[in-house]
Amino acid sequence: MTTAVFRPKILAFLCNWCSYAGADLAGVSRLQYPSTIRAIRTMCSCRVNPQFITKALLMGVDGVLVMGCHPGECHYIEGNMYTRRRVIALKKMLEVLGINPDRVRLEWVSASEGTRFADIAESFTATIRQLGPNPLRGG
Amino acid sequence: MRYGDTVRKIVHTVLEKGMVDEVLAFVPGIDERDVVPAFITDAADAVKITAASYQPYSLASILADYGDKGKKIGLVARSCDARGVIELAKRNQVNRDDIYLIGIECYGTVNPANAKEGEVYIFHDGMEVGGKKEALDESLLSANCRRCGYPIPSMADISCAIDGDGATANTPRGEEILAAANLKSQGSTVDASAIKERAARWQDKDFPDLETDRQERLDYWLRQFDKCIKCYGCRNVCPLCYCKDCALDADRVWVERGRTPPPRLFHLTRLMHIADSCLNCGQCEAVCPMEIPLTRLYHQLHNELRSIFNYEAGINIDDALPLGTFTEEETKAGGVELG
Repeated sequence: MTTAVFRPKILAFLCNWCSYAGADLAGVSRLQYPSTIRAIRTMCSCRVNPQFITKALLMGVDGVLVMGCHPGECHYIEGNMYTRRRVIALKKMLEVLGINPDRVRLEWVSASEGTRFADIAESFTATIRQLGPNPLRGG
Repeated sequence: MRYGDTVRKIVHTVLEKGMVDEVLAFVPGIDERDVVPAFITDAADAVKITAASYQPYSLASILADYGDKGKKIGLVARSCDARGVIELAKRNQVNRDDIYLIGIECYGTVNPANAKEGEVYIFHDGMEVGGKKEALDESLLSANCRRCGYPIPSMADISCAIDGDGATANTPRGEEILAAANLKSQGSTVDASAIKERAARWQDKDFPDLETDRQERLDYWLRQFDKCIKCYGCRNVCPLCYCKDCALDADRVWVERGRTPPPRLFHLTRLMHIADSCLNCGQCEAVCPMEIPLTRLYHQLHNELRSIFNYEAGINIDDALPLGTFTEEETKAGGVELG
């Protein structure tokens, strides 16, 4: 008998202007990255209501990635500044509740950073593998 | 001399001189363990105001819900009420210019349900029950009040002592009111450091250590959330939950109609919405029929965020809300953390 391998499910919110293009570049450059990532495109990373992230965790995804433009490069000038503060607050909320805040990660990925996107997908998947299944699953 | 005479004198003055149109304060209810909020418009009624140590409602939310818009309103406020008004003013729910905050010192309140016979007054060095002085029994205080480090409402226009005629003006408007009432502004005679120490001690005791086992903490809170009967009491009573149209209403995508306990998202959403500004007023916990210790959770998260964003709810009206602002330095910092 082989033991079942834990295949994490990871939800990634990608901003339309940078990170989604970065993911696209990783694709057209034929970079290999884990198939654990499920992408949702949003117009800006600050469109990601913290409620979306909690809802995703409650629906059983094992990790959530939020990606946006580098600070100062937001298509909407300042959207990612709000995202940063929200994600910090959300991670603290998870910590207080007893959920490992490492399950949520915010990263800045520009349209030209296909390799960086693939690297983040790789390392985040490794982190989630180590953390194991989401304890909120089914909640 | 009754406790709270200074406040009654000030309220009498502001109503008589027409500085305000109405004053919101607590007056006695059906017996000595009951107080009810009332809008007072006649200076002769100022004498009814009670300073007994009960806090069954947040006056800030009553002011926002029922206060006449455009009128000058006085509010006899404990720290949590005054801070609530300041937070609501930042969210454009009340106009701070129209509100005269007449603060009253508060060293803790007692839930009327747990109170002994007779009127209860809590002081910094003891308490009085039914006219008899006693040593302070901390177990009698509401849990949120034990954790509160704001005995003196220095964010209000005036802060008055419960006992004696001490009153301090904290703003130009406060000075105006004191001058009208022929009172001299003097600093509080009470050393607040002992109360701050009590607050720190109870916070240490009540808040689980974030370094210890996460799973245990998670199991505890999920068990608590699953007691919920979705009465919406916590949302309705919260001074900061002011939205007329709430995302948590039934059939608004997030919470389905007719299901209890509600999805855990119900509590997590409220937690996230309140966390940056929780006043630790204790109303959500007091009103909960299932006795879910919500204030403890909100207060702990607020404390954690306070050190990150350097923001204290309801202290300074000029401090921007932490999740609705950013600094110039942040635009230049490349990382995902602040600074």
